[in-house]
Formats: sequence, structure tokens, C-alpha cells
Amino acid sequence: MGRFITRRLLLLIPILFGVVTVTFIIMYVIPGDPVLSLVGERYDEETLERLRGELGLDRPLALRYIDYLGRVARFDRGRSFVTGRPVMETIRERVPRTLTLAGAAMLIAVGGGMAAGAVAGSGRIPWAGKSLMALTLVGVSIPVFWLGLLLIHLFAIRLEILPPSGYGGGSIRYLVLPALTLSFASMATVARVTRAGFLEAGSEDFVRTARAKGLGEGTVMGKHVFRNALIPVVTIVGTDFGSYLGGSVLTESIFGWPGLGRLIVQSILKRDFPVIQGSVLFMAILFVLVNLIVDISYGFIDPRIREGGGEE
Amino acid sequence: MIRHILSITASLISALLIVSCGGGEGPPALRLVLQTEPTNLDPASAVDYSSGWVSSLIHSNIVRFEPDGSIEPDLARSWTVSGDGLEYVFHITGGRFSDGGSVTAFDVESSLKRLIAPSTASPRWWVLEPVAGASDFHAGRAGGCSIEARDDSTLVIRLGNRAAHFLSLLAMPAAGIVSPDAADSLGRDYGRRPTGSGPWRLVSWKSGDEIVLERNMFSPEADSGVPRISIRLIPETMTRVAEFEVGNLDLLEIPPAELELWRSAGVRLLSKPELRIVYIGLNNEKPPFDDPRVRRALNMAIDVESVIGHILFGAAEKATGIVPAGLRGSPPPAPLYRYDPAGAVQLLEEAGYPDGFSMEIWQRENPESGRILESVQGFLARVGIDVKIVTREWSAFKQAVDRGTPDAFYLDWFADYPEAGNFLVPLFHSENRGGGGNRAGFADEAVDSILDIASGVSDPAARWEMYAEAEKRVMEAAPWIFLWFPVRYEVVSHRLEGYEIPVIFNGQRFTGVSLR
Repeated sequence: MGRFITRRLLLLIPILFGVVTVTFIIMYVIPGDPVLSLVGERYDEETLERLRGELGLDRPLALRYIDYLGRVARFDRGRSFVTGRPVMETIRERVPRTLTLAGAAMLIAVGGGMAAGAVAGSGRIPWAGKSLMALTLVGVSIPVFWLGLLLIHLFAIRLEILPPSGYGGGSIRYLVLPALTLSFASMATVARVTRAGFLEAGSEDFVRTARAKGLGEGTVMGKHVFRNALIPVVTIVGTDFGSYLGGSVLTESIFGWPGLGRLIVQSILKRDFPVIQGSVLFMAILFVLVNLIVDISYGFIDPRIREGGGEE
Repeated sequence: MIRHILSITASLISALLIVSCGGGEGPPALRLVLQTEPTNLDPASAVDYSSGWVSSLIHSNIVRFEPDGSIEPDLARSWTVSGDGLEYVFHITGGRFSDGGSVTAFDVESSLKRLIAPSTASPRWWVLEPVAGASDFHAGRAGGCSIEARDDSTLVIRLGNRAAHFLSLLAMPAAGIVSPDAADSLGRDYGRRPTGSGPWRLVSWKSGDEIVLERNMFSPEADSGVPRISIRLIPETMTRVAEFEVGNLDLLEIPPAELELWRSAGVRLLSKPELRIVYIGLNNEKPPFDDPRVRRALNMAIDVESVIGHILFGAAEKATGIVPAGLRGSPPPAPLYRYDPAGAVQLLEEAGYPDGFSMEIWQRENPESGRILESVQGFLARVGIDVKIVTREWSAFKQAVDRGTPDAFYLDWFADYPEAGNFLVPLFHSENRGGGGNRAGFADEAVDSILDIASGVSDPAARWEMYAEAEKRVMEAAPWIFLWFPVRYEVVSHRLEGYEIPVIFNGQRFTGVSLR
């Protein structure tokens, strides 16, 4: 296991090198000029040149690339072109908020999704199972912005029990609606996969054996069926969590949530290269780490994977 | 197991709901909202609307705009102007920075020179361009310029040429006075932690979330009105509307599409014509738009009034001139271009385009301009012009337009200060082609020379007459498709009193408002 983790961590280096290079190239290929966001509606060429010089944008591309690689290696992310703030300071401010939202959404997705999937998969309450599965179909197809506005309208304007938007200094009241919105699609997928897992495991030999040796239905379901259904769920959770870190832009915008997604979109619109580079790099690292954790957790859930790996 | 999961989920949900029932009430605050977050509160670096707006609440200027656009004393309690209009003597007294220090004429000198200094690299240094020696100082050819504090309370500024609008320039956000100590010690971080002598001081700035201001307790009028302002940062229109509906905001700008809804909702709705013109710029240097007949034909082909009625729900006034009504010395001119598709076709024939032509109109991403341009596209199709709408996000759009790439582009122009010259000079003087504001590339020697002379004329009536002449010539040459002057609508909460929509965006400092 130790060697496996080390190898995966070492793999981070080429991956990050690729991420850094690709973002660097894309930023210079797309049209738009960062200094134009700094000068407002009225400016002269001289001011543009001066600002380009100030930001080091007048140097040859190759030189800037090498310089940038050097700074990445020294963990120096530089300062934002637009705000002049150190990039790390900005990212550090945003990351906990994004993680809070992503974590809460994941919790709801896994809790709600597995409960619904288990109810549907066990076949104990047929009508509930059918309606839950119909609901998951709605869940995977509903657009996020529409769902978000619907929830705001229902919970904030009609029922007046939750605030429509904002971060609220970390208060859980402000977290509920964005987390619910963000979790909805994952919850539906988790429910469907859990149900499939339950149905599949229910007909396996080891379940029949467990039942034959006289185990109670609760133990059979909990210890054998549930554990088997968990593996695909973990896979979904891993990839979805990764995408939540940067892909929750819509949810963050609707709810005015000050996360990393909005920061990246804003900096792309303003061509704020240091912030784009810094946050994309940061997300790439997180994404790789989350996937590593997912891979490791397989071993704990299913002994067959652990033994089959034969690494230890 | 299922029961287990269900009970965990149920308890989680109930825990969330229990917590959600408790709501905290902060100290009384005026609750405002911004769509985009300020980038930098340093007056020298604040170029976007949000930054300039917040920066103006924190910094005071030598003189300031009132909500009606008039100029009032701010740090300068009085001033005199020499007979030749070149020397301004200001008596600076009574101002105090939010750290307690008094504002002296030396602080004002140092702050204004900081704006021009080459080391600051301010994109807004042009605000002080009329000052004698400013251009040389900015270019690094001189060590200073004609801004001089004679003693703690006397500041003398000498201009290179007469500039009738100089006081207006001094009231712009860029000419805000910064604490020299804070600016020196903080350097580039000043934009995040500003220290001004304005009515408000920055208490906290939670990126992407909220900015909180409190009264500058050292400011002269610190005891009156609202003690605190909270500015929420919410990018989504629908969410801002929801926040206003639940009573979390005191003030909200309403997009035209929402107007009917609010008119019937029984809320307090305020409106004010904006000092802003919306237009489609035509690339005057590129055929076929280098032919004035073609440009006139385009103006005749579009029923602007119908677009205002159907798409903007009446929230605009057709632009029969270039200078908005509020800045004119005479009533708006009679419309030069009326909706006349047959006349437009005839003009196009005369210009050598009997079968029309195809063109691109560029816009930046924005749902409202999309609807407007689709209707323009429909009108132009009727006279044989095939329009392709090209959408780019702001940065790419601006780059292309300033380089003269598109045939035409949909854009607007805000007044920086309430002066007719602030429309005509940047938009149509040939010196300002491209990034200077004249993005259509219009060039006319007669217009240039009228504008050059007018800006030095101190008698407002005489100056206006010259501007009106320049405006008439530009209208005849039709470098743009002239569209409209928008009207701004805001809804106000029932507890807010004494608020007025300002004519100039930094003309409302919220010192005269109160909460019931």
C-alpha cells in the first residue's frame, strides 16, 4: 500500500506539469488582453504599454513560460493582475468555503441517495421504490440554475425559513439551499447505482449462503449486500466531489456563494492569468488527491480488491 | 440497515432545520448590493463601476458631486479661480482621515501627484492631464507638476490650458484623496485596505460575499444618518430580486424586463434618466461604412421607438442628439432620422448598394443586448442588409473593437462627469480614436476644432452653443446608429428615506439617508 501511494504521489508531478503547460498555452491562445481589464473605458496606448511592462507581459512567451515554471516550483503564485492581491491569499480565502459546500453536498448526496437506493433496491416497499426511482430521473435531468431558483422561491420567499443567498459567515442556514441544489444530481445517481447494487448483490451466491446459514435479514442486507453496493457509490462520490471543487460555478453564482468556482470564472473573464493559473493548479492537486483517496478506500471496503492488488 | 440510514438522514435534516430557525440581527445597516465585486479601492487603480463607487464612499475629494450633479465643496471649503482661468487656489480645511489624522493641503498635493506619477502607473492619471506639466511628469520627463501646497490649508493648482470642466474632473473617483502614510506603507495592498477622509471607512471585505462600511467617526457629519452600510455581492439578477423580496435589501436596480412586474407590485419605484447613451458604432474607416449615405440609411432603417417600447418596456428615450437632456443648454433637437425603410433603400441604391450587403454586429455577452440586436437584425433585413450577430465576452470584445476589427458594435457611454464635453470629446474627437473612446474611428477636422475651442470657453451658454454645433455636425455625419438614453429604475425598501438616484454614479454618498 505504501509503495502504491508513493507511486501515485510521484505521478502528480507529470500531471501537474501537463496542467500548468496546457493552462498557460490556452490563456495565450484565446483572444482578450489582461491590461484591457485594468484601464477602464478610456485609455491610451502608452498606458497599456506601461502596464504590460509592469506585469511582465511584454516579454517573449517562452521566457514567461520558463519564469512561470520556476515560480510554480518555488510555490510562488504571484499577485493578481487585477486586484494586486497575492494569489495564495485569495485562494486560501475561497478554498474552505468551496470545501464546505462540496462536503455538505456530498453528505446529502450519499445519505439521501443511498437511503433512497436501499429502499428501492430491497424491494420491501414497492410503491416507495418506484416513486423514488421516478424522482431520481427528475433529479438527473433537472438543470441546476432552475432548481436553485425554485428552492429560493420555495424556502426563502414562500416559506421564509431559509435565507435566499449569501455565505452568512459560515452559518449552516446559508449552506442548506446551495448544498441541496449542488447535491441533487449526484443524489439521484447514487440512488440509482445503490439500487442496482442491491439488486445485483441480492442474487449472488454469498448472499444466498448468508441467508442459508440463518443470518437475520438485517445483517444480510447491512453486512453483505450494502457493502457490495458501496463500491460503485464510492467511485461516483470521488469523481463528483472532484468536479464540485471547480464545477459548482452555477450554484455558487445563484446563491452568491464565495467559492473557488466563481473566482475562476471571474478571473477568466478578466484574463487575470496568475489567479487562473494558481487556482487551476490548486484544483488539479485536490482532484488527484481525492481520486487517490477513492482508490485507497476500495481496498478497505472490498477485501477482494485489497488481496488481488498484491502490493503489500 | 435501511432503517438506520433513514433515521440518520432524518436526524440530519431536522438538525439543519432547527439550526435554520435561529436568525441573528446585526446593528442597523443600510443594505445595498453590487452585481460585480470591486477589484481595487485605490482611487488610482479603480476603473470599473463597483470599485469607483465604493472608493468614492471611502475617499473624499477636493470638491464632490451632489446627487443632482452639481459641484459642492468637499475638502476645500472654498476656492478662487484667477481671471485667466488657469490658477485655482483651494482652502483645504476640516477633513480628517479615518485613522484620525487631519487632511492638510500637503496631503492633497501628495495624493494628486501620486495619481500622475509614472511609478503609480494609474490608468486614470488623465483626470489631472489639464494640470500644467502633468503630461511631462507622467512621462517621466519632469520631477513634478504645478500642484503646490503653500501651507497646511492652501493648495494651488495651475493648468496648462483653460479647462472649464476642471472642477468636475477633481470630483471623479480617481481624484480621491488617499492618506499618504497609508499609501506609502501599504503599497499595492492599499487597494484592499484604503484610508480616506470620506464619510465611510472600510470595516471588512469578504471576497465574493460582502463589504461592510461604517461611518468615519472623524468626518464632520459623522453623527447623522445611518451608522453602517452592508454591500452584498450577488452576481445573479434573480437572486438579487429574491433578496429584495424577502426584505434583505434596501435598494435594487431593476432591469427593464422586470419593470412591469414591479410597477404592479406596489413597491416604491424611483426612476431617473441616465447620463448614458446606447449606440451601435459603425466602423467609419471600413467600406461600406466609410460612406455617410450608408450610415444614414442604417439610421433610417431601424424603428428605434418600437424597440424601446417592446424590448425596453419604455425605459429609455430615443436619442435625437448625443448629449443627454440633463446636460443640454437647449431642448433636444428634432429627430434627424425617422423610421423610413423606403428612404433607406433609396439611399443605399445611391451609395451603390442596390442589393444591400452583409455585415457583422459585435456585442458582449448580455441577454438584453441579444434581444435588442435580434430586432435590429430584423429591421435591417427588410432593407436588404444581412446582419450576423457576433457575441464575445468583455475582454475579447473590447480588444477587437479597439483594434477596429468589427464592422459594427453595440455599446454604451457613461458620463464620468456631468458635462456635454464628456460625451462629445472622447466619443468624436479624432485624437481619441480607439481606446480613447472614439471607437467608431470618426474623424472630422471641423468637429475637432470646435471641440478644442469649446473646452476652454468658461461661459456655459457660449460653450453649449459650440457643443450643439459639433453635435449637429456629428449627427449629420452619422458615425453611429443612434439608439437611446436609458432611464434607470430602482426599487426602494419602505424603511429607507431621503434617498435619491444620483445623476453621476459617485454622486450619492448615503450621508443624507435614514432608516425608519
